[in-house]
Parts: sequence; structure tokens; C-alpha cells
Amino acid sequence: MSFLLGATLVAVTMAMACALPGVFVVLRKNSMLVDGIGHAVLPGIVIGYAITQDLGSPWLILGAALAGLVVVLGNEYLTRTGLLAGDSPQGLVFPALFSIGVIMVTADFANIHLDTHAVLVGDLNLASFQQLTIEAPGRSPNLDLGPVYLYVMLAVLLVNVAFLAAFYRQLKLTTFDPQFARTLGIRSGALNTGFMFLVSITVTAAFNGAGAILVIALIVAPPATAYLLTDRLPVMIGLTVGIAGAGAVGGFWAAYAANAATSAGMSVFYGVVFLLVLAATRAARARRRRSSLQRTTGTRPTTPEQALIG
Amino acid sequence: MSDVLGALMGPGAFFDDHTFRMAFFGTAVIGLVAGALGSFAYLRKQSLISDVISHSALPGTLGAFLLAVVVLEVDGRNMAVLMLGAVVAGTLAVGLAQYVTRATKLSIDAAMAITLSLFFGAGMLLMRIISNGAYPGKGGIQDYLFGNASVITKADLIASISVGTAALVLMVVFWKEITLRTFDPDHSTVLGFHARAIDALMFITIVIAIVIGVKAVGLVLMVAFVVTPPSAARQWTRTLPAMVVLSGIIGGLGSGLGAYLSIAVGGVPTGPLIVLTLFAFLVLSLLLAPGRSLITRARGRTRHRRILLRQLVAEREAHIEPQGSTTLPGAGQS
Amino acid sequence: MIACQTSGLSVAYHTEPVLRNVDFSVSAGAVMGIVGPNGAGKSTLIKAMLGLVTPLTGTSEFFGQSLSRVRQRVGYMPQFTSVDWDFPTTVRDVVLMGTYGRLGWLRRPGRAEKETAATAMAQTGITDLARRQIGELSGGQRQRVFLARALAQEPDLFFMDEPFQGIDAKSQRAIVSVLHRLRQAGKTVVIVHHDLATVQDFCTHVTLLNQTVVSCGPVDEAFTSEHLRHAYRVGDTEQGFFEPDNSRGPRVEVAP
Repeated sequence: MSFLLGATLVAVTMAMACALPGVFVVLRKNSMLVDGIGHAVLPGIVIGYAITQDLGSPWLILGAALAGLVVVLGNEYLTRTGLLAGDSPQGLVFPALFSIGVIMVTADFANIHLDTHAVLVGDLNLASFQQLTIEAPGRSPNLDLGPVYLYVMLAVLLVNVAFLAAFYRQLKLTTFDPQFARTLGIRSGALNTGFMFLVSITVTAAFNGAGAILVIALIVAPPATAYLLTDRLPVMIGLTVGIAGAGAVGGFWAAYAANAATSAGMSVFYGVVFLLVLAATRAARARRRRSSLQRTTGTRPTTPEQALIG
Repeated sequence: MSDVLGALMGPGAFFDDHTFRMAFFGTAVIGLVAGALGSFAYLRKQSLISDVISHSALPGTLGAFLLAVVVLEVDGRNMAVLMLGAVVAGTLAVGLAQYVTRATKLSIDAAMAITLSLFFGAGMLLMRIISNGAYPGKGGIQDYLFGNASVITKADLIASISVGTAALVLMVVFWKEITLRTFDPDHSTVLGFHARAIDALMFITIVIAIVIGVKAVGLVLMVAFVVTPPSAARQWTRTLPAMVVLSGIIGGLGSGLGAYLSIAVGGVPTGPLIVLTLFAFLVLSLLLAPGRSLITRARGRTRHRRILLRQLVAEREAHIEPQGSTTLPGAGQS
Repeated sequence: MIACQTSGLSVAYHTEPVLRNVDFSVSAGAVMGIVGPNGAGKSTLIKAMLGLVTPLTGTSEFFGQSLSRVRQRVGYMPQFTSVDWDFPTTVRDVVLMGTYGRLGWLRRPGRAEKETAATAMAQTGITDLARRQIGELSGGQRQRVFLARALAQEPDLFFMDEPFQGIDAKSQRAIVSVLHRLRQAGKTVVIVHHDLATVQDFCTHVTLLNQTVVSCGPVDEAFTSEHLRHAYRVGDTEQGFFEPDNSRGPRVEVAP
């Protein structure tokens, strides 16, 4: 497999693995919590590396994801105390965890050599560098199966698909109407923790390729864009996967052509697509409203409410 | 522990050193301004907008740098130009996040997340362009990511103090309008204040508070300077003026203390240590503040519940004997 | 037969007691109105029975069993829904959610479930709204959607919390007709209601509640002027307080 093809496949797989749980992240209004998780996994990764000495180890990913869960549970606890207003609980825990991570990195704890740059934006090309090869009998060059990282992200994607398939109705119910879900006997607390753990795993796995900050773009932007286009959940999921895949290819090649960091290119690409879709839907709605008003009354609305009815 | 304390540098030696003095006062000013103005973001329940602002300061600063070097052909390290770029980008980011929330069914958190990643992604692209090109004065660009308090110059300090003072003056001058809008947005509109103008004013002061800190503290950790001091100060205070003042004090004191510790211990980056110091202030406030303390509250609640439970059991025993039916008279309890 | 009962139920929000030692039971086939002044703990009673609020003391049983065993037979229509109105879902989909409880894991709603949902929508008069996004509806229409969702659950016992609060006349008529249909079908309904004047229109039984149970039983026994004054803490000398019109007799037959 050529390096470029391998890296493109990694980008697409990573984008889909992130965007899929992102649908529920956006609908549950947890988008900025992902920002917190993205930072909080840093100390988890450093400690995990100290134990496993392998940044791609699944144990490291699971362990580091626990650090992300600290942000989720810490946020829930601080919110429940009722002592803090608004979204501040989300902004209190993760900077402290990230600080611990940065101190550990600079103190050369565990001899981990993370480029500070890469912590924030990752390096997809570097992550895709290590190739999975299998010695095939009777073939002189070993069988090249593409980047190892591709299989890591593929595994995460499959886990996400399996989780969403198994808990689709429960997730939908607890997101749409948590109280009703509880009367049906759904344990929304456990479901929420499980789901956020999965998000945390996804973030950790994508950390190498996308870094702490740009992983937010991968998780939030495609579903948010899809949300502008539909009010049907299954359609939204389909659109999300489509936008994530197309954006990954587009962003990857744009970044490649501009010789820029892949994840930065992807996140700008997603952002621009979002803004274009936003502008298009606004324009379409304004046009619809104007034409239907002319049809029904032939006059301009006098109040915003009338405009809405039209 | 005693080893660490023994290794600490005394305050005398600390303040004799120019770099250390700059680091101490520079971060203290940042903490003070961000803490005081962060109170309004906290009370508007939009603390995380500070994270969006600090990340958007990157493309703002780098864009201004490129503009200065390539188009205007002036020194790219000109503090005023860089700050102006960051303020413009930060204000644009806030505006975009608010617009997306208003114009779509997306909630503010998703709008923030998209704005943050779009601006930061653009910043990283600009950073790549700058580091690939041969631009004079491009050194130190990396500092914006994680901050570097040891590069604070006297000129930086003077710039922070003057711009920070300007932001605080704006806050005092428009105190009445900002407070009203924060407490009861609809009422302020009914009274005839232009809502968006006040919002813009308020967010610009917060943008300024953040922009002066980014280079020293780093854009990633700036959020803690805006969120943590007000969260801690709120536990001890009941009025807005008291909260703003205490939040400023906590921010300034915590930042100075953190900077001192980082230099005195040595080899520990300043920004993260300040964040941990502020976090310690918060934990202490949550545990110890009178009336709201988590410890005394939990104890009081357990005690009250136990008393109530005893009462209820006694009531039940008194009624179950004569009645024993599904109808219980309510007169006995009230 | 008893559809649901609770004994010694006490609930406190923080340290403030809302319900004190409430004993309460509803026989199968009854339409039980829960009536009382603001802050009497009417909604809290329902929520505590359904496990949405953790009680300080007391236990509840449904059809002689714990709630977790008979969840499918118990439906609930809340006063204030915790619904996200922007959620990308249609009216039909929301009504179909009522059948989710009885579908186990992984099974998707099939034809039977869709028919149940369609019937529920027809009964509440929202069939023509089926393809609308849930946020596009008026208050009364939303209320009917949640009633339809509860109907699609096909429970034997319904809890309704102030279903008539702030809705239009058409929705009100639709809900009353559903109530009558449920009673004819032998279902049990527990309904929190604040309008004393209409209690006798559709309730067979009444519980007067003010932190404790003041009276509980068939309408003509429990819904008396004396009990009402007691529940609302109104002195005997005060004039103009609501007098139930017991002379006209119950307008609905008390279920056996």
C-alpha cells in the first residue's frame, strides 16, 4: 500500500470513528466536554506510556481514556454540588489535568518524547508511518497491509458502530427525554458514563493523529453540519458519516498540497464546510419564507410571529 | 517535603532577579485582570467562551505578524500590532459563536467547539507557513501554544498593565449596563439598552484580558485564568462588586504564587503550575467557604435528615394504631 | 384488586419535607384524581412512586409487585417534560418510543408496534401531524403527543401529571375523550389535577393531599367541603371557597 493511500485511509477512518459518536455528543450538548477530554487524556497517555512504552498499545488507550472520564465525572460532581454556575465545571477540571500532563512531559517523566506541538495538533503522517507487514510464504517482499494506526482506528470505529447499534434506542431516549427514559427503566447514568468513556477512548486513539484540540473538529463539526440539514436522526447519522469521510479526503489533500499539518487542514476544511452549509440553509429558508408569504397574503409580515407562521 | 522546601529559593533572592521579577508581576497582572473580568463570563454562564477566545488569539496574532512583516514591512514583534490582531480575531470568534447559536438550533457548546477548532486550525496552518518561511523575528512564535513566562519583558509588562487597566476601566464605566444585562437580559432590553452593544463591550473586555495573557501562559491554559478565580471567589461572596474584587485578588495572588513556585522549584513550566495553584484555591474554597462549604453542608444535611426521619417514624407510629386505614388525618402534624 | 399502593411514603427536597407518611392506594379500574393546593406534593407523590425521586421512607407496589417487574404496565405523562425540542425526531417517532420498553434489546419496532402507534395517534387526533418535527407543535399538540406515547406503551396503569395545564380547548377535549375511553377499557388512571370544578367530570375517586393524605376514596366520600377546607387550610368562617356540588351526584359511574 502506498504511503499516501495509507494515510488517506487513516484520515477517513479516523474522521468516521470520531464523527459517529459525535452525533450524540452534539445532541446531548456535550461538545465542549470533548475539548476537556482531549486535554485531560494527556497525563493518562504519559502514565500509560511509562507502563507500556508503546504509544499505540490498546492498554495505553484504555488507561488514558480513564483520565478523560475524570473530566466527565468531575464535571458531573461539581455541577451536582450546585455551587458553580453555568458551564464553569467543564472548564475547571481539564486545565488542571492538562497541567499535570505538561509538567510530566517537561520533567521527562518516563522518557516520553512528545513534541509539544504534536500534543495539540497530532501528526497524522507520523502516526501512519509504521506499517503493518506480514511475512507471506512464497513472496519475497513481506505483505504490506498499510499503517498500523489504520487498524487501531478501524478497531475504534468498529467498537463505536457496535455500541451505537446496541444502544441506539437507549441513547436516543435518554438524549431526547431523560425522564421518560428513566420511567422505562433505562439506567441513564450508567449509559451516559459508558458513552462518554467510549468518546474518551475515541479521543485518546485519535490523539496521535489529530492532537488534543483538533479532535474536537473531527467529533463535533460533521454532526453539527448534518444537524443543519435535517430533522431526522437516521438521516443525520448518514449525513454525518458522509460529511466526515468527504471532509477527511478533502482536508487531507488540501493540507498535503499546502504542505501543512493534516489535522489542521481537516479542521479548517470542516469549519468552512459548516459555514457554507449554514449560509446555504439560511438563504434557502429566507427565500422559502419570502415566497410563501407572497403566495398567502401578498403583504409583508408585521410581526416576527406572523413571519414564523408564514 | 522538607527537601523541596529547602531547595526553594528565598523571596529576597527571587525579587533581585530581573527575569523572575518580570515573570512574577507579569503573570500577577494577567491573573488579576482575567480573574476580575472572568466574573462576568462566569455569571453569564458562558465561561468556556474564554477557551474559544484564547485559541482564536493564535490565528489573530500570527495573521497580524504576517500582515506586519509582509505587507506593512514593520517589525513583526511589535506588541501593539500582535495584540490588536488577537483582539480582532477573538472578537470575531465570539461573534461567530453567538451568531451560530442565534441562527441555528445548535446549542452554544457546539457553536463554541466549531469556532474554536476552525480558528485554531487556521492558526496552525499560519504557524506552518511562518515556520517554513524566512520571516524576521519569527522566533518565539511557539510560545503562544504553551506560554513562556520567562520571556516577559519590561515592555510586555507595561503593555499588559496599560491594556489591562483600559479593560478594567471599561468595566467600571459600564458597570451598571453590564451588570443589568448579566443579571436579567430581558429587563435590560425592556429598559432600552442595546443588548448586542453591551454584549460586544463585555466580551471585548474579556478578550483583552485573555489576549494579554496568551503569550506568557499559553492559549491552552488561559481558560483556567478566566474560569477558576471567579468560581473560587463566588463561594466567599454574595455581591457582585465583592466577587469581582476577590476574583481579581485570587487570580493575581494565585498567578504570582504559581510563578514564584515554578521558578523557585526550578525546571517546572510556569503556566501549568499557576493553573494547579488556582485549582488548589478553588478546592479550598469549595471545602471551606462558610455557608456553602461542601463539608459542613453534607454534615448538616445528614443530621437534619436523621432528625426528620426520626420525626416521621414517630408520627407514623402515633397514627397507625388508631387508624390503620388508607385515610390519615393531616391535622396532627401541622 | 389494587393497581398501585404506597405506604409510609416521605420525601424531602434537601431537608424540607414535601410528603409525610403518605399512605395511598388505587383500586384497579378507578380514575383517581390527586387534588391539593400548590406545594402539596402532588407531582412529588407520583414521581416518588415511579422512582424518579428517591423517597426518604416508604415503599410502593404496582399490581402487588415492585416497579421494576411491571414497568411495561405503568405509563407516565409528566407535567414538565425534560424533552429536547430541537431533537431531530418526528411526532410518529416519539409516539413509537412508547413501544420501546416492551421491545427488548436489539429488536426494532415492527408492524405491530407501528400499528399501535398509529392507533394512539388517531385516538389523540394527531395523525395529520405525524411527519412534523416535534419542536414545530403548539403546547396542546405536544401534550397530545405525549399522551399518545403513553397510550402506545399500552399500560394498565396511567399516571398523568396536570395534563390540562395551559392547553387549547381542542386538546382538552381530546384528552378527556381518551380518559373516558381508558375508563371503559378498565384501565386505571392516576391524574394530578388542580381545577376543583372539573374533578367530578372525569374522576371516580379522589385523594386530597397536602403533605399528608387528607382524604382518599370515591368522589362523593372524599371530595367533601369539609375535607377540602382542611386540605386547603381554609378556615370555616371564610366565605367563597369552592363547594363541591354533591347534590347532582357523580357524573361518572364508580367502577366496581
